[in-house]
Amino acid sequence: MIHFKQAEIGYQDPLLKVTDLTLEAGNVYALVGRNGSGKSTFLRSITSQTPLLAGEITINSVSIKNANAIEKSKTIAFVESKFDGIAFLTVANYLALGRAPYTNALGRLSQVDWDFVNQVANEIGIEAFLQKDTLSLSDGERQLCAIARAIVQETPVLLLDEPSAFLDYANKQILVDKLLQIAREKQKCIVFSTHDLDLCIENNIEFIALKNKSLHKASGLTKPELISLLEEKG
Amino acid sequence: MIQTQRINWILVVSLLIFPLIAYFHLTVGQQEISLTDFKNAIFSYDSTNTAQLLAREFRFPRLIMACVAGAGLSLAGMLMQTLFNNPLAGPYVLGINSGASLMVAISLLTGIQFFGTNVGLISSALIGAFAAGMLMMSVVGFLKSQVSLLLVGLMFGSFTSAIVSFLEISSKAEQLKSFTLWSMGSLQNVLLEQIPLILLFFVIGIILSALIVKPLNLLVLGENAASLLGIKIQQMRIIILIITALFTGLITAFCGPIAFVGLAVPNITRILLKTQNHLYLIAGNLLIGSAFLMLCDILIQVVESEIQLPINVLTSLIGAPFVIFILIRKMK
Repeated sequence: MIHFKQAEIGYQDPLLKVTDLTLEAGNVYALVGRNGSGKSTFLRSITSQTPLLAGEITINSVSIKNANAIEKSKTIAFVESKFDGIAFLTVANYLALGRAPYTNALGRLSQVDWDFVNQVANEIGIEAFLQKDTLSLSDGERQLCAIARAIVQETPVLLLDEPSAFLDYANKQILVDKLLQIAREKQKCIVFSTHDLDLCIENNIEFIALKNKSLHKASGLTKPELISLLEEKG
Repeated sequence: MIQTQRINWILVVSLLIFPLIAYFHLTVGQQEISLTDFKNAIFSYDSTNTAQLLAREFRFPRLIMACVAGAGLSLAGMLMQTLFNNPLAGPYVLGINSGASLMVAISLLTGIQFFGTNVGLISSALIGAFAAGMLMMSVVGFLKSQVSLLLVGLMFGSFTSAIVSFLEISSKAEQLKSFTLWSMGSLQNVLLEQIPLILLFFVIGIILSALIVKPLNLLVLGENAASLLGIKIQQMRIIILIITALFTGLITAFCGPIAFVGLAVPNITRILLKTQNHLYLIAGNLLIGSAFLMLCDILIQVVESEIQLPINVLTSLIGAPFVIFILIRKMK
């Protein structure tokens, strides 16, 4: 699915070197690391908003660097850490914007598109909010809407930047359940950055740990092991 | 679906009220003109008939200008608000007007031959508007809050008006007079012969806006999210800037600066229609914007015998409190 080859990620100086890494479809990966370790930059390099300094990232063997804006929007969906809601934008219309890569110049959705929007809303469990204003929802409900919007985009890759940061404990668990369910049922490759180590350990999520400009895949670690991995010097 | 019905209903009602307001606007002036005279002024014009002459040379151009200015400034404001993701944006508060005004001041006050012509006046206003827009666009990246963009725009306005004041002091009496008249803002300055050109620019602006409905709808999510949904942000910024400069430059050149319409009307439209679909918002802004400025101009003509109220003064009297209202609502 996503493959990193000798990729150097960063701005002027490389913040991170990823010599060889493959992320598989159907899996959820938790991206962990201290503040400033380059989690966001790592995600931005996959969307090529932060261009690679060297090397290459391919998604299904296609180099993302060469893809145009529309191709990219059909490949990667991105969820930001917080969706504050937008006045006068209903949840249904918000989700509908996720179909943008597939709609015509006027952005009008076909019946098939709307059916898909409704189907996703049912899967995520937000069908009751569809006609509500996005401003009127709670933080947890809004985050689910943001994820639904990204799924409506129908991409093989789903990236989330600290999606659990503003959620309470129950909502964090719902979020992780949904991500695992989506990855499994839709065979998506999901990467989310997080500081909620316990949450990921309890749910047996595979880690991508960023430390000292390099990257370590790890799973089945206990919390002390993981923390010592992240803290370890040199 | 309920939402769409509601919007259609509001748009249809505004469309029905529109000719009524236009009729009032035509007939409100001091000289009474009958409906037949208006009809004759279009279909069988007799230039020796005073009523028909008034209708054709003054009332119609003024009505068209009120509609074009109201609708154009509102549409420009809507585009700015969506692009900057900021309900406080507008051509006036962001200094787009000021850019146009500065260039017009240079044209009228320096007496350089090229600028004295019609084409010179319009093109200098367009260039000024576009340059001011570019400036704001380059600044916006450094600003953290929505209010600071407003402050920068107003500071830019103060800066240009300082230059204008300097030009005024050092200009000849005759030039100063024509500039002062222009700067008061009036919908009556336009000549019948200029109307086709104005309408052409206006229609181009509307068509361009309608063509970018989809990117506008996505920009509501923010530039970052819009770009990840396939929108080319740089390209879209330039297009929006060109349309905004087109409307603002055109209207400023012919009517002088008109404040706050571009800020207030898009907000009123959004609150009324309760939608973020820009196809409806464009229609709403065109209707409500032109209706708003027609009403303002009717009021001006009603009190004309008592006091001379420049259009810019009236829109500021209504618009400035409205900005404070939005600010208070946002801070809550």
